[in-house]
Amino acid sequence: MAEPLKRLQSAASQDQTTRDEERILRRWTPILLRTILIVASLILAIGLFMMARQAPGAYVERFHAVQAGRIYPQDPLGKMLTQAEHGDPHAIVVFGLMVLTLVPLARVAFCFLLFIRERDWTYVAFTAYVLCGLVVGVLLGRVG
Amino acid sequence: MLTVLGGLLALAVGAGFVGALSGLGGGVFIVPALVIVAHIPMYDAVGASLISVVATSAGASVAFVRDGWTNLRVAMVLECATVTGAVVGAFMAGHIAPWILELLFALVMLQSAYFTIQKKDVETLPGPDPLCRCLKLEGELPGDDGRPIRYGARNLPGGATLMLIAGITSGLLGIGSGALKVIAMDYVMHLPLKVSSATSNFMIGVTAGAGALVFLSRGAMAGSIAAPVALGVTAGALAGSRVLPHANVRALRAMFVVILILIALEMGWRALRGI
Repeated sequence: MAEPLKRLQSAASQDQTTRDEERILRRWTPILLRTILIVASLILAIGLFMMARQAPGAYVERFHAVQAGRIYPQDPLGKMLTQAEHGDPHAIVVFGLMVLTLVPLARVAFCFLLFIRERDWTYVAFTAYVLCGLVVGVLLGRVG
Repeated sequence: MLTVLGGLLALAVGAGFVGALSGLGGGVFIVPALVIVAHIPMYDAVGASLISVVATSAGASVAFVRDGWTNLRVAMVLECATVTGAVVGAFMAGHIAPWILELLFALVMLQSAYFTIQKKDVETLPGPDPLCRCLKLEGELPGDDGRPIRYGARNLPGGATLMLIAGITSGLLGIGSGALKVIAMDYVMHLPLKVSSATSNFMIGVTAGAGALVFLSRGAMAGSIAAPVALGVTAGALAGSRVLPHANVRALRAMFVVILILIALEMGWRALRGI
């Protein structure tokens, strides 16, 4: 009799874990998504506003360059962040776009950490795979 | 500058608004708008659109997750397939001739038009199959009387295969591929339509984010285009989702089918001229 009882208790405990995970995810995921989205939108809006104030000609020039298929050389990340810190509008816009791409990355990383805490190894594996896929995307982009 | 920026913002707001009303997402409309109206090369339009899809998905999925419509576990399992596809698609986009991308886009538009006509509203709620039960993919959706209704999921391998294709399409063409994702979950995995739509919306962000990361790290994201597009599409989508409950959905669907076919013809024609 003890064995089926143990199995029942184990199943009930697993159900409780799943419900807890679900509750935490439903509460915190929207907060995470909304916060990063607002921050990124603000950075983008500030960058565009500064562009309009400081270098309207440069914006139009860049727009026409894109239309003509010309490519501007991209600065390394470190240099770009320093430029953004010094108030370069274009660097601020690119930084805003980077923050925006962090939205899904942060959401998956949050789920990954939660599943580790709850010892739900199947979903740790799924979310780890997605995170690795995102990192591979960055590496592939650098290759060509 | 204000004319160029204002024009881009107006295009993006319009695309986001129509995308939300049609349920197809802003990407399907902003890419052709940038290519046809703003004369932006297809490749740059794809990069800008991917960023806007990330923003729209994050904004739109907040309420669906909070209210219990999104099946988070189904999303996390299927994201393995869509992210793989998106990374491959975005990598390929940099090595494919623009006319091929335009032709593919035209075909996807026709598929979206077909999906809009065929969209069914009847929901079936079968139990889960063993694999889906093992992965705890069954869920509950809020019923009309407030009591939760349980539903199952089936045929995960079939759904994942379609999701891989949806991911490739997303990375290649800068769209969310929501139509294909809903087909995978609704028709193949037998999830309720509303759960499929909400879950697709949630997944679109990660899929497009994977593609956008490839573009960003390649240094191929035109910030001057992508920034106003992301802000505009998000604002348009927000406005569209507010108007949607008061709109005549049947009349809208008919109108969108015509618009999609016209855009498909224009993109197809551009592709043929570019050969």
